[in-house]
Amino acid sequence: MTAEAWQIVFFTIEVSAFSTLLILPLGIAVAWLIARRDWPGKAVVETLVMLPLFVPPVATGLVLLMLFGRHGPLGSVLQHGFGLEIVFTWRAVVLACAVMSFPLLVRTAQAAFQGVSSRFEDIARTLGASEWRVFGTISLPLAMRGIVAGAVLAFARAMGEFGATAVVAGMIPRKTMTISLSIYQNIQLGHDAAALPLLFVSIGVVFVTVLCGQIISMRNRPR
Amino acid sequence: MKLTSLLLSLLISTSISAAELAVHAAASLTDAMKEIAVAYEKESGDKLQFNFGASSMLARQIEEGAPADLFFSADEAKMDALEKKALLLPGTRRSLLSNSLVIVVAADATSVPKSAADLTKAEYKKLALAEPQTVPAGIYAREYLQKVGLWDAIKEKVVPTENVRAALAAVESGNVDAGIIYKTDSLISKKVKIAVEIPAAEGPKISYPVAVLKSSKEPERAKKFAEYLAGPKARAIFAKFGFIVTK
Amino acid sequence: MSLRLHNIRLPLAGFTLEIDATLDRPIAGIFGPSGAGKTSLLDLIAGLRRPVAGAVQLDDRVLFDAALSLHVPPRLRRIGYVPQDLALFPHLNVRANLVYGYRLPVTENDLFALEHVVEVMEIAQLLDRNVTTLSGGEQQRVAFARAILSAPRLLLLDEPMSSLDSRLKTRLIPFLQRIRDEFFIPLIYVTHDARELAALCDEVLVLENGRLVERGLPAEVLV
Repeated sequence: MTAEAWQIVFFTIEVSAFSTLLILPLGIAVAWLIARRDWPGKAVVETLVMLPLFVPPVATGLVLLMLFGRHGPLGSVLQHGFGLEIVFTWRAVVLACAVMSFPLLVRTAQAAFQGVSSRFEDIARTLGASEWRVFGTISLPLAMRGIVAGAVLAFARAMGEFGATAVVAGMIPRKTMTISLSIYQNIQLGHDAAALPLLFVSIGVVFVTVLCGQIISMRNRPR
Repeated sequence: MKLTSLLLSLLISTSISAAELAVHAAASLTDAMKEIAVAYEKESGDKLQFNFGASSMLARQIEEGAPADLFFSADEAKMDALEKKALLLPGTRRSLLSNSLVIVVAADATSVPKSAADLTKAEYKKLALAEPQTVPAGIYAREYLQKVGLWDAIKEKVVPTENVRAALAAVESGNVDAGIIYKTDSLISKKVKIAVEIPAAEGPKISYPVAVLKSSKEPERAKKFAEYLAGPKARAIFAKFGFIVTK
Repeated sequence: MSLRLHNIRLPLAGFTLEIDATLDRPIAGIFGPSGAGKTSLLDLIAGLRRPVAGAVQLDDRVLFDAALSLHVPPRLRRIGYVPQDLALFPHLNVRANLVYGYRLPVTENDLFALEHVVEVMEIAQLLDRNVTTLSGGEQQRVAFARAILSAPRLLLLDEPMSSLDSRLKTRLIPFLQRIRDEFFIPLIYVTHDARELAALCDEVLVLENGRLVERGLPAEVLV
């Protein structure tokens, strides 16, 4: 593997890790709200959260491009208000990974919260705990294994992200080139051999990651 | 009696002799070829099926066995690659067109470069080019920038796109500050304006060859279409779109 | 103490729980077949479920009034709850479970001091153990102690000894009597075991299909 290839690998791992950390707070909150509460519009929100799993990734990429492009509603605010450029930069890679892996995190964390008997939370309330204390001392710790498994899945998904990233971040060498994009480019160039090391590394990293996630979630038996 | 037999024979002749040709053509040829197709289909009765894209990607697909009758590339190198692999029908290759490069910005852009050298300035952060290693439009642009010694200063700003039309779209969207595309592409879009024209004499030698593929199932029909492309009617349409028609 | 359940209505699966009664004996027993609504009754007293009509008042404090849309949340009711499965928090050790609802003793008495409760329930030697390693009887006493330590004004017990054999039950009944005699906490005790009722309760209420069908001394009610 060349130095350039290693740069691509480390860049992909960095943006995947960053994107996973970014979606954790919101993902856990949304998962809990879906698992434990009923509220108007819940079905709509649930569907929206799951959309990136079913919509063609390039379509999702297009939506992100329209929203975060320089003239888009969110992109123009970020550009003029904060001087932040999103599309065609590493931030767009993080954005694409975050959006595409969010549903996996929410689904897994939601199941984890549902697996915690609500009796524990009820008894905690009778013992005087506020809702925040119930969440922090009972719901979250008991769901933690499932949440970690969800984060691992999200990371693995981010590592393999391609369609949305290609549209919203482009394939700019050293700036937005991920493992998947690089493999694709090598195929286009006819350099299949150059793609092989990256192929093995990407399969290897994701295999280990998903395996860890499986082990963690199998140990998370509902009590 | 005469009329009905005439109609009948016309009907029979067109249905027997109508062929469908698969034409793989460079993305920059999209609009011109579509207009040519309308005229040719009426005249010959054959149907034209197009696959437009980056010549590099099209060549790769043909190499991998994608069924096609004709290949109309934006540079000679891609055609050479197919010729080396003996995928072309001998004697059918000819160079038809040329083109020139322009630097474009969005139609409402406030920063407009006056020369290629201006692109090195800080106000131009992102520059859209078709993939400069593989796609003809990108290769031509890179060769030009290398020739005038600007490539090293500019290459960090390059946002590579899959084909030249994607580079045009990127400039139109305003997500990049400028782009280098064919003059013919800039002319079909109202959302971009030409900032700098690179004269054909200074720019790289751009050449669009066409050839019939050996795997074609309708070689005679394909040859006929290739002839048409070299003929006066097609040349007029190419010229209308801004292509330089070679003698 | 006086617990007033005024025209309570709570729809359940297949029938409606309808109660209008006042409980003022130290230990009131609730008896009835399974599915009669006993657990739901305790839930609504604790504030874990909300009736659609009626009012609940404990001594001078209104805990629920449908007409006024008033519903005091469980954590403010000072009503302890020992559920059927005990719901000891599996991720916390015995000591952490005990002090979860712990209120620092009000100066009048040291009755609810940790050391005292632990001594009365005879669980001093278990404090550092993981709750999942305790025996059935030990878990019971820890569950009682946890509820007591929140200094409740009323303690609800839902078939707390249903999973224990009769020998263990006999051993545990004195602990419940201690709750009444040493901590002065009134109990509402749900069970289908006639012996427990006879041994503990001052009064028995019989619930069938969500309705109070009989009420009286244990000897009168249980034939």
